Amino acid sequence: MESISRISSLLETARDLTLEAARDAGPRKSTRPLPVPQIKKLLDSRQEREVLDGLRRIIAMQYANPPQATLTFFPAVLKTLSHPYPSTRPLVYNYLIHHAELDPDTALLSINTIQKSLSDSNPRVRAMALKTMAGIRVPVISQIVSLAIKKGVSDLSPLVRKAAALACVKCVRLDETTRPQVEEYLAVLLADKQYYVAGAAVQAFMEVCSTERFDSIHPVYRRLCRMVVDMDEWGQIALLKLMTVYARRCFPRRIKRTKRAQTREQKVQDFYEDLEPETQPQSSEADYEETSIADPDLTLFLTSIAPLLQSRTSAVILAVASAYLYLAPTTHLPSAIGPLIALLRSPQDIQQVALHNMVQVCLAQPSLFVPYYRHFLLRSTEPPHARGLKLEVLTLIFPSCSPDIQSLLLAELGHFSRSPDPALVRESVRAIGRCAQSPNPTSSRRCLALLLNQLHSSDDNLVGEAMQVIRHLIQRSPTEHRKTVIRLAKNLDHLTSATARAGIVWLVGEFADCAGDEVGQGGGVAADVWRILVKGYAGEGEEVRGQIVGLGAKVYLRWLNERKKEKEEKMDNGVGDELSLSTRTGENHDGEERGFAEDVLAHQPQEEKTTSHPIELLWQHTLLLARYTPSYHLRDRARLYRALLAIPSSTELASLLLLAPKPVPQAPSPSESRRAYLLGSASLVVGEDLRGVGLPEWVEDGREPDAGLREEGGDGKAEYVGHRERGGVGSVSAGERLDGVLAGGAGVGVAKKGGRTLDAWLDEEDGKESSGESEGSVESEEETSTEDESEEESESEEDEEAGLVK
Amino acid sequence: MSAIEAVHIFDEHNNLLLTHTYTGRPSPPLVLLPLYLQHAAPRPSVLYFPSLHPPTVLYSIVQDNLLFFSPSSGNDTEPLLVLEFLHRVADALEEFLGSPLLASKIAANYDIVAQILAEVADAGTVCHGEANALRDVVETEPGVLNNLLGKVGLPGNAAVPGLQGGGPLAMSGSGGGIQRTGSGLSALQPAQTAQGSAIPWRRNNVKHTSNELYVDIVETLSVTLAPSGRLLSAFAYGSIAFTSKVSGVPDLLLSLSTGGKGAGMGNRGDQLRAVMERTVFHPCVRLGRWKTEGVLSFVPPDGRFALCGYEVDLLGPEVTLTAGKSTYGSLGLPAGVEITVGLGSSGNEFEVRLTQPTTSGGGASIATASLQSNLSGGSGIGSRSSSYKPGVGTGDSKAPSLDKFTVRVPLPTAVRSVTELRPSKGEAHWNPVDGSVEWRVAAKDFGPLGAVLRCTIQGPLAADGDGAGAVLNGMTATTYDYNDDEPASAYQTSDGQEKQSNGVPAQVSREAKVEKSRELMPTSTTLSFSVKGWLASGLRVESLLLDNKKSRGLGPEVKPYKGVKYLTVSREGIELRC
Repeated sequence: MESISRISSLLETARDLTLEAARDAGPRKSTRPLPVPQIKKLLDSRQEREVLDGLRRIIAMQYANPPQATLTFFPAVLKTLSHPYPSTRPLVYNYLIHHAELDPDTALLSINTIQKSLSDSNPRVRAMALKTMAGIRVPVISQIVSLAIKKGVSDLSPLVRKAAALACVKCVRLDETTRPQVEEYLAVLLADKQYYVAGAAVQAFMEVCSTERFDSIHPVYRRLCRMVVDMDEWGQIALLKLMTVYARRCFPRRIKRTKRAQTREQKVQDFYEDLEPETQPQSSEADYEETSIADPDLTLFLTSIAPLLQSRTSAVILAVASAYLYLAPTTHLPSAIGPLIALLRSPQDIQQVALHNMVQVCLAQPSLFVPYYRHFLLRSTEPPHARGLKLEVLTLIFPSCSPDIQSLLLAELGHFSRSPDPALVRESVRAIGRCAQSPNPTSSRRCLALLLNQLHSSDDNLVGEAMQVIRHLIQRSPTEHRKTVIRLAKNLDHLTSATARAGIVWLVGEFADCAGDEVGQGGGVAADVWRILVKGYAGEGEEVRGQIVGLGAKVYLRWLNERKKEKEEKMDNGVGDELSLSTRTGENHDGEERGFAEDVLAHQPQEEKTTSHPIELLWQHTLLLARYTPSYHLRDRARLYRALLAIPSSTELASLLLLAPKPVPQAPSPSESRRAYLLGSASLVVGEDLRGVGLPEWVEDGREPDAGLREEGGDGKAEYVGHRERGGVGSVSAGERLDGVLAGGAGVGVAKKGGRTLDAWLDEEDGKESSGESEGSVESEEETSTEDESEEESESEEDEEAGLVK
Repeated sequence: MSAIEAVHIFDEHNNLLLTHTYTGRPSPPLVLLPLYLQHAAPRPSVLYFPSLHPPTVLYSIVQDNLLFFSPSSGNDTEPLLVLEFLHRVADALEEFLGSPLLASKIAANYDIVAQILAEVADAGTVCHGEANALRDVVETEPGVLNNLLGKVGLPGNAAVPGLQGGGPLAMSGSGGGIQRTGSGLSALQPAQTAQGSAIPWRRNNVKHTSNELYVDIVETLSVTLAPSGRLLSAFAYGSIAFTSKVSGVPDLLLSLSTGGKGAGMGNRGDQLRAVMERTVFHPCVRLGRWKTEGVLSFVPPDGRFALCGYEVDLLGPEVTLTAGKSTYGSLGLPAGVEITVGLGSSGNEFEVRLTQPTTSGGGASIATASLQSNLSGGSGIGSRSSSYKPGVGTGDSKAPSLDKFTVRVPLPTAVRSVTELRPSKGEAHWNPVDGSVEWRVAAKDFGPLGAVLRCTIQGPLAADGDGAGAVLNGMTATTYDYNDDEPASAYQTSDGQEKQSNGVPAQVSREAKVEKSRELMPTSTTLSFSVKGWLASGLRVESLLLDNKKSRGLGPEVKPYKGVKYLTVSREGIELRC
């Protein structure tokens, strides 16, 4: 996350840019293209400088845009491989890898020379040759590559061994059939003492081997755990990923139900207690339930990766957080939250990905993020996607916050809901809506109050959004919010936003019935609202008109139902004259309705029916209005309602259609749908499944591989490496060593070192290579002692060893 | 696992500069580019194109106006790994080609770039992240390095010793150098093996004629103020950039001090850790020493690198929401900003005020005075000691120097134009493209009195003339208190009030006007500046020691030149809401 180029951009100002520009304008080495024969001539030259110049031109041609044909130089370039100059070699190799596929036959000509370089005395040359050979994408040579890797695996120089590890990947890609051999090589390389070899081997393992089989991991598990701190970032990432899968497969999750243990987790909970009194009972309850007993080997892994949380690489921090989340969410995850928050400092591109992952962690454990709420306050300069994710975190932690933080968060959301940016308004209003779902009634009431206040805004967009969220809230618990509906209805006098008006009308139609009951038969708020709205029907937008007709249909239908019920009650009472009266009126109504249905335009029936109920009249009026609405859709709808409600005695179908309870809308956190994706995966960021490798379930207790595999394997490996190490020392004579020293001693600084005794060299090497491993019988003891060393040890060890050189 | 399939680099005009394929058959850059450009800027760094065959996830970063792409069409990859990789590539290119990266430099040095790209990832497996260590493996022509690095102050001269002569002789010399480094890494020379392998981030055989060490601490401010002026959040994101030009393998010890913050909290390490939160380190830093003593002990890479990153909560960990301490003045920043909206007869004016919180401004505005009172209230706090002391300085730590202030006020898109811009100092202009007012005040103009900018804005044409009440909600007169227990009768009364308030048409129309223009008022403003020689966190470099005993390849008499630079930057980092 810390990138020097980013800091430089802060430190350096425009001055440097102009300086650069001036220099670029100045005289430069000419890069003007030469004709092909001339370049070939350069390549054939005996002078290293000219060959280099020719190669450089070819490479530039190869990369230039548009690319120029460079294949014609293949033989000429290969010829330069025989030159002894090391300076040309990287360029030739680069060319070779690039063109091998295009002309495999010519490429094969170079194999012999490269093979020769594999036994060069300079390890860097050997490594480069191995790398290049594996990189030539010509399947015929897969066996040769495999052999070269085999040789490289037992090379003395860790550089070559690292190249061998990386070549394994290429070898398998080249030819699948080499996989069994390659897996063998990797098993050896995984046990390498040199951390960067092991790191590369882990990377290769993740690429090549399936994560189903861990035969080669068991023996090196503990060693890798201790080495992880020293590996490079890429090795660390690969190892963290590997070990997370490994732990899931090899350490069963043993859960002990305990009363209470003053664990670290408990302390963390205590720490948050003062911040969030509401959630405290919950969390302590969770504590009571289960304490997982971690395998000591798992604990070793979890503790040895803790220093990686201070890595400068965001991917490493995230990988550690992911390991903690999936392996030890209660004990270790809290320590990873702070470093995750630190990722917010990184450049925008990384920040965005980090936020996605933070939301994912937050979904699992929102309370851990509460102390960091300040980091998630929005800034006006942020890109929109980052804002959305920050808002999501804020809403997720909202229920666990203390009241004063909650009010701050609400103020924050309220502020951004007044922003001129419509997308942000929508996001923040929805966020308030999600906050309102908090189990705590006071805070949810506050959210609702805030939303209701938003209705007074002059921003139509905001009002519309707020209304939608209010509607959802009311739908969730209609009985509690009856009064709210009534009050919303009152707002209809002033509201201008069509969406909001339509929403309120709908709400009145849906939920004002209970209120209607209260007030009395047939009347009620809904009918009244309807009455008032019909007056202004002409001035409404189409959306609202539709809702008015719908409201009318509902009220009318309810009224019909009421009447029917009454009728039935009266029938039950068996009062004769009343019965006859009601049947008479009922018939009348029937007749009237039929007439109405048959001929709506006829005004006579209406005028005749001076005694008919106002609701009925209102309904007919509404239908008339709808009939002359320009919108097809609305006219169709009105026709449908009319047909449905044509026969007052049979309202079952209409009730089914109109009064059916509506499904309660769910407003989950937007990232809820991504919950299934793995932390740190690309699927999580893009929100689509990208064929990622999922995390296995915890292995069942009793089915895990024997812990002894790790135990004895560790010793065995140590012995093996020790053997190889000793063999290595034996095979190189002391004279050769000194020669090497003298050869290298040409430089200024090394001359001084050349004067030291052989013993000093040997001592140092032992100190470095095997951390105090000498020979023979002592060895195993030494090894066990090193196993207990923690990472601090290895660091102090490094210091010691640095101190050895005076 | 994740493999890097390819790296594409585009120049600032989105012309393809370079493409390097590692493995597989990734989507060609010219197919990806239009798809990428379809998205509105700022573009997400991770994009998914299911329409391509095979479906491709595109990772992208922008560095120095160059656009870096890395498509991935295989299985799920780790986005952060790829993005970090791209940043490392940019860093490595910068190490070799100099900062900032320019398209012309890359085009002129394809051979070097090709080698770098081939080294950082081996057939798609990322394997070589250290820019400095790449110097051991990437072949460069002597002239190139001299030309590029000599002038930017990187150790180009010393990097390739004995190559100045030119000609074949020099070439063989270079060859010898490589030979040397090669054998240095072999198992045959334990001393150098230890050196080469224990320090994967440092190149071998570093030689400098003048030994120099520079520490640059840069803090970026991120402060958010509520409309009331209360601090919502205040962070300083710090980075320590270290430049080491010391021969051999130096072992350094950098001690920082907190400048009085966190006093009384255990030993110095504890204090430091209390101030520097959520630290991240370059792998060279020995974490153990940091944990126990709070010092940075490390063997640096050669040249310039990011040593450490941290953040400081300027509010302090113990601050509560209600505490009076959380006022802007308590931060001790060199300037503050205030904004008042809805001024003027029709409420279509706003005023931005730049203030200088720390001076004893006699004739300052009322607002400044109130800030002063806040300050005096908060002066008992330890953080005062670190507050910015103004001075027309040279930029060293004794007399910090201020760069010019820039205030940016983003305006809603509905704003048609800003008719009047009346700055009392500096110059202001309205940028119709991004719809914001930018106001620059030179540091020397900015006195204790502060500066004021007053703007009048014009809304959309249609809404200007008509009786604003017609389309307005008109609800501003009533407050709408939501209360569940309110009796039903209350509706009636509030209804009555509403009617009453509506009965005063003149007032309504004025209110309506104000309300109308409130929509056009800015909702926030940001302040940018940079201060040399001062850190918001109050951190100081206490000492930088070169451990001559532990260092190798360095004479005991060598006393490297040491330089320290502090810089606090606010890049729209101070945000005031309104």
